[in-house]
Amino acid sequence: MRFILTALLCFIALPLLAHEGMAMPKGPELGSSAAIDGKGRLWLVDAAEGHVRLRHSDDFGRTLSAPLEVNAQAEPIYAEGENRPKIAFGSQGEIYVSWSQPRAKPWTGFVRFARSLDGGQHFSAPLTVHHDRAEITHRFDAMAVDGQGRIVMAWIDKRDLEAATAQSKPYLGAAIYYSVSSDRGASFATERKLVDQSCECCRIALAFFRSIYGDNIRDHGYAVLHADARASEVQRATFSQWHIAGCPHHGPGLAIDSQGVLHAVWYESKDKPSIWYGQLQPGQAPAHSVLIAGAGASHADVAVHEREVWVVWNHVNAQGYELMLRGSHDGGLHFDDARQIANTPAASASPQLLLWQGRAFVAWNTSAGFRLIPTEAL
Amino acid sequence: MRTKPLLLLALMLPLCVHAGTPMALGAGDVAALLKPPAQGERIIALWALDCAYCETNLQALAKLQQTHPQQIELVSVATDSIHQQDAIEARLKAADMLAWPARAYADDTPERINYLLDPQWGGEMPRTLVIRADGSRQSFSGALSPAQLQKIGSL
Repeated sequence: MRFILTALLCFIALPLLAHEGMAMPKGPELGSSAAIDGKGRLWLVDAAEGHVRLRHSDDFGRTLSAPLEVNAQAEPIYAEGENRPKIAFGSQGEIYVSWSQPRAKPWTGFVRFARSLDGGQHFSAPLTVHHDRAEITHRFDAMAVDGQGRIVMAWIDKRDLEAATAQSKPYLGAAIYYSVSSDRGASFATERKLVDQSCECCRIALAFFRSIYGDNIRDHGYAVLHADARASEVQRATFSQWHIAGCPHHGPGLAIDSQGVLHAVWYESKDKPSIWYGQLQPGQAPAHSVLIAGAGASHADVAVHEREVWVVWNHVNAQGYELMLRGSHDGGLHFDDARQIANTPAASASPQLLLWQGRAFVAWNTSAGFRLIPTEAL
Repeated sequence: MRTKPLLLLALMLPLCVHAGTPMALGAGDVAALLKPPAQGERIIALWALDCAYCETNLQALAKLQQTHPQQIELVSVATDSIHQQDAIEARLKAADMLAWPARAYADDTPERINYLLDPQWGGEMPRTLVIRADGSRQSFSGALSPAQLQKIGSL
């Protein structure tokens, strides 16, 4: 059974969100994740004062429940950009939550996990997913659940970089490791390496990620993760040839349709800032590439249902942020013009597309509050 | 005889204020920062606490500025909030960067400041803006290569 882990790496969204402004009191960070379960209940996780908070809504985000603290004991939590708490469901109503915990030194972290088996009323004590306990980078966690209920966690891991540095050997970027739980999150198997030398400051879109090719060319790689012992092969999936000795701060997005087509969005700035849509053909350039947006656009997400494809992103200007949408009705061959579906003068986090019964909604967390925005034109 | 030390102190004060401790950079301060210098060029070195490539880039620019002290003005700008002033200053100190003026973002929408500084910038780090006295501008993403540094230094 193969596990499609779309790891989108390389996007730390760091400068983006979650920096408090001068006049702002220290409130919750904006990094959050949302999901809609089979019954139409919206679930939202974010972090405040050392706790991952879980809230839900039965009216599509208009009102949110009181928060439940996932980790009873407070601990540091990354809640910026892509380095934000994540939520996923098991096949029997389990609720899985993960996050990255900063350690004392800069750029270090542990990947943490907790589960609820009673519909979100109680959570297990958090566990650290990786068996390696060195005070190094294990963060930018990504989580997915496969058709058999196994949980895959993937993250950016610097143990090989540290080992190479200790021996004065060159090593670009960081590795990606992953681990699988086959017991509904009670435990995780010893982690395995997916790939060396990925972009160290990027996000993982569970199996599509930004990698480093040659001398700091930062394109994206793609891998199918296998929950069994088979090795996973990483193939290059974008060929923008963006050369940067730095942190792109933009991760990709990936959605897989029922035919197995890999709909992806990614950012590159070889000549100018650009968000692209394309259908991945691992090993060669993506098919049906479309330039979705240019300067000012960031943090795109993609979703697909049958022939409908949605792409959303944040667009910044001197006034604040616009939430933009482009839709396709023919499986991504053509896209409608860009349309603004919301705006705010407030700080805003990356938009996240959620599907429910063939409809697409956008979860958008801003410092003015959380919103769930329908994508249909009025 | 007492006036001389006082005068010296007065001359030194602006230096003490500007160098090292990061000062707030809000949306309203961007225009002044982008104003072309009277001579030579101003280099705005954008960096972030969570950027592993940024410190060596700052140091390379500092070295370049020291070789052209009259012609190049160097300002480091952290995209982290000015609320993290202590952490920013500690990192600048560790990188031996306290001698140059430093700013840090003061806006609850940091991407807006990114956009105001450079609309062609997607937030990738490090980012270097060069503003010349004739009003021309150039920007670079990523740690600067020796060739790029040479280009910036060829006034």
